[in-house]
Amino acid sequence: MEKYIEFQNITKIFPGQKALSDVSFSVKKGEVHALLGENGAGKSTLLNILHGMFPATEGKVFIEGKEVKFKNALDAIEFGIAKVHQEINIIPELTVAQNMMLGGEPQKGILLDRKKMEQETQVLLDRLGCDFKASDKVGLLSAGKKQMIQIAKALYLNARVISFDEPTSSLSNAEVKTLFGIIRELKEQGITILYISHKMDEIFEICDRASILRDGTYITTLDLKEATEEELVQNMVGRDVSMFAQRLKPSCADRNQVVLKVENLTGPAGFENISFELYKGEILGFFGLVGAMRTEVMRAIFGADPTTGGTVYYNGEALPENRTPNTVVKRGIGLVSENRKEEGFVKNFDNADNIALASLKKYMKGMFVNRKMKEENSNKVGETVGLHPNDPEFMTVSLSGGNAQKVILAKWLSTDADILIMDEPTKGIDIGAKAEIYKLMEEIVASGKSIIMVSSEMTEVIGMSDRILVMREGHMAGELQRGEFEEERIITYAVGGSQS
Amino acid sequence: MKKIFKNNFRELSVIIAIAVMCIIFGALNPVYVSLANIVDILDQAILYGLMGLGIMLPIITSGIDISVGSVLAMSGCIVAKLAVAGVNPFLCMLVGLIVGFAAGGINGLLISKMKLQPFIATMGTQSAFRGLAYIITEGYPVLGVPDSYRNMLNVKVLGDIRISALIFLVWAVIVYILLKKTRLGTYIYAVGGNMEAARLSGVRVEFVQTMAYAIGMLGTALAGLIQVAKLGTGDPTTGNGWEMNAIAAAAIGGTSMAGGRGNPWGTVLGAILFSGLKIGLIVMNVNTYWQYVATGLVIIVAAYVEIFQTMIASKKKKKA
Repeated sequence: MEKYIEFQNITKIFPGQKALSDVSFSVKKGEVHALLGENGAGKSTLLNILHGMFPATEGKVFIEGKEVKFKNALDAIEFGIAKVHQEINIIPELTVAQNMMLGGEPQKGILLDRKKMEQETQVLLDRLGCDFKASDKVGLLSAGKKQMIQIAKALYLNARVISFDEPTSSLSNAEVKTLFGIIRELKEQGITILYISHKMDEIFEICDRASILRDGTYITTLDLKEATEEELVQNMVGRDVSMFAQRLKPSCADRNQVVLKVENLTGPAGFENISFELYKGEILGFFGLVGAMRTEVMRAIFGADPTTGGTVYYNGEALPENRTPNTVVKRGIGLVSENRKEEGFVKNFDNADNIALASLKKYMKGMFVNRKMKEENSNKVGETVGLHPNDPEFMTVSLSGGNAQKVILAKWLSTDADILIMDEPTKGIDIGAKAEIYKLMEEIVASGKSIIMVSSEMTEVIGMSDRILVMREGHMAGELQRGEFEEERIITYAVGGSQS
Repeated sequence: MKKIFKNNFRELSVIIAIAVMCIIFGALNPVYVSLANIVDILDQAILYGLMGLGIMLPIITSGIDISVGSVLAMSGCIVAKLAVAGVNPFLCMLVGLIVGFAAGGINGLLISKMKLQPFIATMGTQSAFRGLAYIITEGYPVLGVPDSYRNMLNVKVLGDIRISALIFLVWAVIVYILLKKTRLGTYIYAVGGNMEAARLSGVRVEFVQTMAYAIGMLGTALAGLIQVAKLGTGDPTTGNGWEMNAIAAAAIGGTSMAGGRGNPWGTVLGAILFSGLKIGLIVMNVNTYWQYVATGLVIIVAAYVEIFQTMIASKKKKKA
């Protein structure tokens, strides 16, 4: 079957905004087909049309040559089109079987047929090679296992098409491996797979072909056996951004000035004896796998979580053990959290208020906060970080991921903080905005400030760091100087293999 | 002009609702729009509004305080006792405010430091403060509050309008300035909008929460002071269920129960609308039981308008 799914001249217009414009391409039966594009390119809109979440304004979708018009998501699922969500929506209090059968539970009279539920579920779990049971409570399972439940559910519904939207964003490396194994198996069974991801290495590993969207228009479909990463990226952004994670300026690290010294930091989260130093003007990369506890260490330094031992020195002065973010921020350390929405900004606040949140004292006239001064600051710092739209009254929550991140950076640049801890600074951000964040980081260290960058992206860590520290399961595993950056060495430290 | 309309859509719609209410009740029974009745409406609105403005602060932090009715009674009884004992009226007032602030502060500490859920914490103190009101008075109303105290808060300042209306206005201005012009106010919104983001930005969340409950309770204490002056007694049974009136005033005025959003002037108008409706139903001789149904419906409609409004706003945003 050459054209299993065919999109024909799909246009989707939201009030005042054209999300998709005349998109046409097709997907072969049993292939893993990547959908690529920057945030806002229209990938999710296209998938939502396929899944019956909303209809296309114009154009048709064909499956096996027949036009399909789904009224809602359920309609599409019944037809055999399932989705594995980016945010894993599962009810933690229920068992695996209950979650899988939700809405379609087998019954004996008016009672649930629990036995049948668990048996049927177990068969599917076994088929996927899962090591948990149908009777296990979902809340106790890891993100990767929860995703397996979604896949099992899709199989239970006899799905012929399964779409994955950023499936690996919260998985550990081992889980990603398992997932890919399963995707390959699904493919062999003739199931067609649509795959959205920002991670290039994954796409090359698992996908057969990739269709690229840019600003709602279809650009091209490439065979991944022939295409190069640069080719993909160029098509996605429409400009040459080869090697975007790269230092454009010389290092500003001053090895004679230690601005932050961490000594034997130990915390209840499970990390032990963490010691390192941060130099003035340095970008210090922190690499590790999921479970390495980099975020936990950073939160402990910042006073967001308690510690059980160890000391943090800021410019030679020990921070109190019972420090809180309030006292640490006052000293001059800022934390750009990995979870922007949950921890980065206030959703009811506009840009001016969010940018001013950590430095409110600066905008006082006597006893009162002065809105005008906040707006002036927002305009000024917004320009520095390249915020778009740079409008103090724009609601931060309505910004794209990249711009929301710029608002958070603007918030810390508005303070007098000279150390920024950036946790996964480009997570979920499209490539164009990534390059801007990298540039900004270089400007920040050039102005004499220092950055700790926690990142799980190898290209980013190698490209941006002055020095790399590697953590493994709550311990420091290794340190590499700029000249020693090699992917194999970093990974070896991270997984704890023999160090050659 | 357009901007004023856009930013104050909620307040304007409540004003329109008040106008429509006056026209309907007025047409059905002209007594409704008589000066005496309007003063009545206002008198009642003052109590709802003082408490509504107060309860708004914890609500904006995404909490709730259902102990306000009990604190109304407790602070009122203490003040009445002191006044009867011959204590200087101003000193009585001061003590009443301190009692309110302390009671709110206790709620705040339970919620911020001990991490109790706001509803549960204030449900506990609701009972405890009510019990204290009974203990102080041994269960009997405190009678014979001297005129020196009553006159202080009942004095007419403009025609039939009493000083209590002025106090209401001043309290509204104070809450407005607190919320919109001070650091604490900004932090109250920030804590309600996203507590973790606020904490990680260096906001002392626990302090902000505690202050929201403590300062908010001043509104209830003021209502208690005024009620004692109006009735001449301190009644330990008063204020039962009044937390609902206070929440209704805030909700009608557009305060989001999810936290992070709320405007003092909306609450002022909400209190007036709520009081006008209650008295309108009485003037119309509507059966008491139906009055409950009607007020319930108004709260639900007001909440729906809020949702409707957000929907329109988000649609407009997509267009922009």
